[in-house]
Amino acid sequence: MRAGRLLPLAALLAWLAGGLAAASLGGSGYPPPSALRSTAASASWDMGALAFGARRLFADLWFVRLMQYYGTPEIPEDGHDEASCAEPGHHHHHYGLNGEGRYPLFLPISLHVLQLDPYFGAAALYSAGSLAFNMNRPADAEAVLRFALAYDQRAWKHLNLLAAIGYSRSGDPAAVAAALAPMLKDPDCPVMLKQQAAFLNKRIGNYAAAAAIYADIAATSRDQAYVANARRELQKLASAAGGRP
Amino acid sequence: MMRRLSLLRAVALDSFLSGTRDKLFTLFSVFAFTAVYASVLAGVMAVDQEARVLSDMGLALMELTALAYALFSASTALLREAETKTIYLVFSRPVPRGLYLAGKLGGSLLTSALMLAVMAAMHLLLLRLRGFGVPDCYGWALAGSFLKLAVITSFALFVSLFSTSAVSTLVISGIMWTLGHFAPEARFLAEKAEGLRAAALKTALFLVPNLQLLNARDASGSACALPAAALVPAVCWVLACYLGALWLLRRKEF
Repeated sequence: MRAGRLLPLAALLAWLAGGLAAASLGGSGYPPPSALRSTAASASWDMGALAFGARRLFADLWFVRLMQYYGTPEIPEDGHDEASCAEPGHHHHHYGLNGEGRYPLFLPISLHVLQLDPYFGAAALYSAGSLAFNMNRPADAEAVLRFALAYDQRAWKHLNLLAAIGYSRSGDPAAVAAALAPMLKDPDCPVMLKQQAAFLNKRIGNYAAAAAIYADIAATSRDQAYVANARRELQKLASAAGGRP
Repeated sequence: MMRRLSLLRAVALDSFLSGTRDKLFTLFSVFAFTAVYASVLAGVMAVDQEARVLSDMGLALMELTALAYALFSASTALLREAETKTIYLVFSRPVPRGLYLAGKLGGSLLTSALMLAVMAAMHLLLLRLRGFGVPDCYGWALAGSFLKLAVITSFALFVSLFSTSAVSTLVISGIMWTLGHFAPEARFLAEKAEGLRAAALKTALFLVPNLQLLNARDASGSACALPAAALVPAVCWVLACYLGALWLLRRKEF
């Protein structure tokens, strides 16, 4: 009988002990909820991400939405038709040759992906690369990278891309290509950045390096448009090399 | 001692086998397979991030499916036995209530573990078919999911002993699951708050199990390995629910 009376007390003590032990283990390492800035229709999604402990998954879904958004053609204000993508071979159909466009929601959605999961390195690189090299918005690209670096200081690829963006601003394609080079073999390196590096190497006359990057894209990318373009470029480089003494 | 262990094993085995024979178990397994397979679509849309999306989505779906089954199973386990009068038969024999409850909980946890294992095998097979290996920290993610399920299953078992229906148990446990994942946010708010509000939030932090602590599936960066110390709160919460449930079960007249 006495043991029966002690049971609720023992249960309460065990529960509080669990709370105490949990409190001593520290935080989650994710941005606090105050860092989450809602974009269009994101509030309920964010609630789901927090309620089900699925920040990574929701960051993935927002990243897919970002790619869909960037892959949707913008209607030009001057009424001209959308230009078709040529070199450097973007599979998305933007208004512009190489993914140019205004895409006003690109930065907020990119930041939202990182607010949910700042350790999503590929998303940070993809967003910053697109902003800096395709949309000519280096300041926004730097903002994306700096947000990610605030949580993941050891992300050397982010630092390299920051350097590449800096060189790009000063109009030094060789330095940009050199800054991008170390990250190209990394599995997290977005194919878009590889494509950019190959294009820059071709532009500065470093055809062997360009061919090696195109060969890597053709062998490893799951994006068939990039793969097809890489094969085309390899053929062009091979025939140009045949014509060179 | 041996007799007690044998009793415990018998109750746990019965609970486990009746769980796996349940039509709902099959239904949930089929759903899990369909859902995990459907995640291939999202994976394909992520192009070069397919592996990450497939892995994250599969793990989340597995956990939610196992959660739905575990909660349903825990909230109806004792209720069904009381309705079918089976519990009277059990307690008419020299079966201590503590052992009976431990067996029921053990059986439910075994069923959850089996569900997770079966779904993980399906998920890994799917990843393999798409040309990917075992994702980083996969084992930790599964271990974390199991610990979270253990906490919430024992909580549901406790609630089922005083709630009026299985539905209310499901709702209360579902709310606790959600609150448990909000714990880091509650901590953040508590640190920002002042006065009475801060005191209330800090007290709430002790009353809500911090499930995010065990959420290796969603761990940030490379911190996916569950620290051994994370086992302590999980065990404490399960033990607390067990003791609370035992207290309530002892007060019932069977």
